[in-house]
Amino acid sequence: MFKFLSTTTIYLFIEKIIRFINSIFFIILAVGLTFALVFSPPDYIQGESVRIMYIHVPSAWIGLASFSLITLLSVLNYIFKIKNFFLINKSIAPIGLLFTCLAIVTGSLWGQPTWGTWWAWDARLISMFVLMVFYIFYILSYKTIKSESLSIKLSSLIAIVGSINLPIIKYSVDWWNTLHQPASIKFTGSSSIHASMMTPLLLMLLVLLLYSAMIFLMKFKTEIIRIKRKNIKRL
Amino acid sequence: MILEFLSLNGHGLYVWLSFSIALISCSFIYLRTKKTLKKYEREYLEELQSLNFLEKKEILKKSKIANQIYATSSKAN
Repeated sequence: MFKFLSTTTIYLFIEKIIRFINSIFFIILAVGLTFALVFSPPDYIQGESVRIMYIHVPSAWIGLASFSLITLLSVLNYIFKIKNFFLINKSIAPIGLLFTCLAIVTGSLWGQPTWGTWWAWDARLISMFVLMVFYIFYILSYKTIKSESLSIKLSSLIAIVGSINLPIIKYSVDWWNTLHQPASIKFTGSSSIHASMMTPLLLMLLVLLLYSAMIFLMKFKTEIIRIKRKNIKRL
Repeated sequence: MILEFLSLNGHGLYVWLSFSIALISCSFIYLRTKKTLKKYEREYLEELQSLNFLEKKEILKKSKIANQIYATSSKAN
C-alpha cells in the first residue's frame, strides 16, 4: 500500500518537476505582475491601494491551506504510520510560515491607507497572528527535539490543536464585528469581485503556488538526502 | 507618466513596499533553500567518494537516489 509514496519514486520525479516549474515560472510571474500593477483597475473606494490584495490574499490562502494540509497529514500519519508524511510536513511548514507572515505584513501595509491604522485587535488579525505562532511552535518542535518519535508526536499534536484556529480565521469576519472586510470570493455561491480584479488575483495565486511547489520540492529533496546520508553505511 | 505610475495616487509607498517585501523574502528563502540542498548533495557525494571502490559500486547498484545524485554531479562537473 502507498508504494507510489516511496522516497525513491518521489525523488526521481522531483528533479523533472523542478525543471518544469523553472521553465514557466518567470513568464507567469511577468504576466501576473503586469496584470496586478498595470492592467488591473483601481478600486472605487480604496483606490490604488487595492493592488496590495494581489499579494495579501494569495499569501493568506497559502498560509491557511498549508496548515490544513499539515493537519491532515499529521492525522493520517497517526493512523497509517507513514514517515514520509512527516517529511512532507517538515517541508511545507516553512512555506506556510513565510506566507502567513507575508499576509500579516502586507495586511498591515494595506490597513494604514484603508483603515488609518497599521494594526487593530481585530478577530481576523488576531487569529492570523495565532496561526503564525502555531507555525513557529510546529517548526521549533522538530528543530529542537532530538528524538524523532517524540518530535513527530509533539508536532502532530501542535498541528491538530492549531487546526481549531482554522475555522475561526475563516468565519471571524462573520461571527464578530471586525475592521476586516467579509470574504469577497466564495467557492460556493457568487463572488462580489469583478473579473478585471479576479484575473490578476488568480494569476498571482498561480505564481505563489508555483513558488511554493518549488521550495517544497527542494526542501523535500534535502530531507531525503539527509536520511540517505545517515543510512549510507548501512546499505 | 512614470512618476504618476510610481506614486499610484499617493498609495505608491504601501503598494511598492508590499511587493518589495514579498519579492525580497521569497528570494531569500529560495536562495537559502537552494544553498542547503547543494550543501547536502555535496556532503553526500563526499561521503560516497570516501568509500572504497567496491562499497561505492554496491551503493550505486542498490540505491537509485545515490545513482541520481552521482549522475547529476558528474553532469555538472
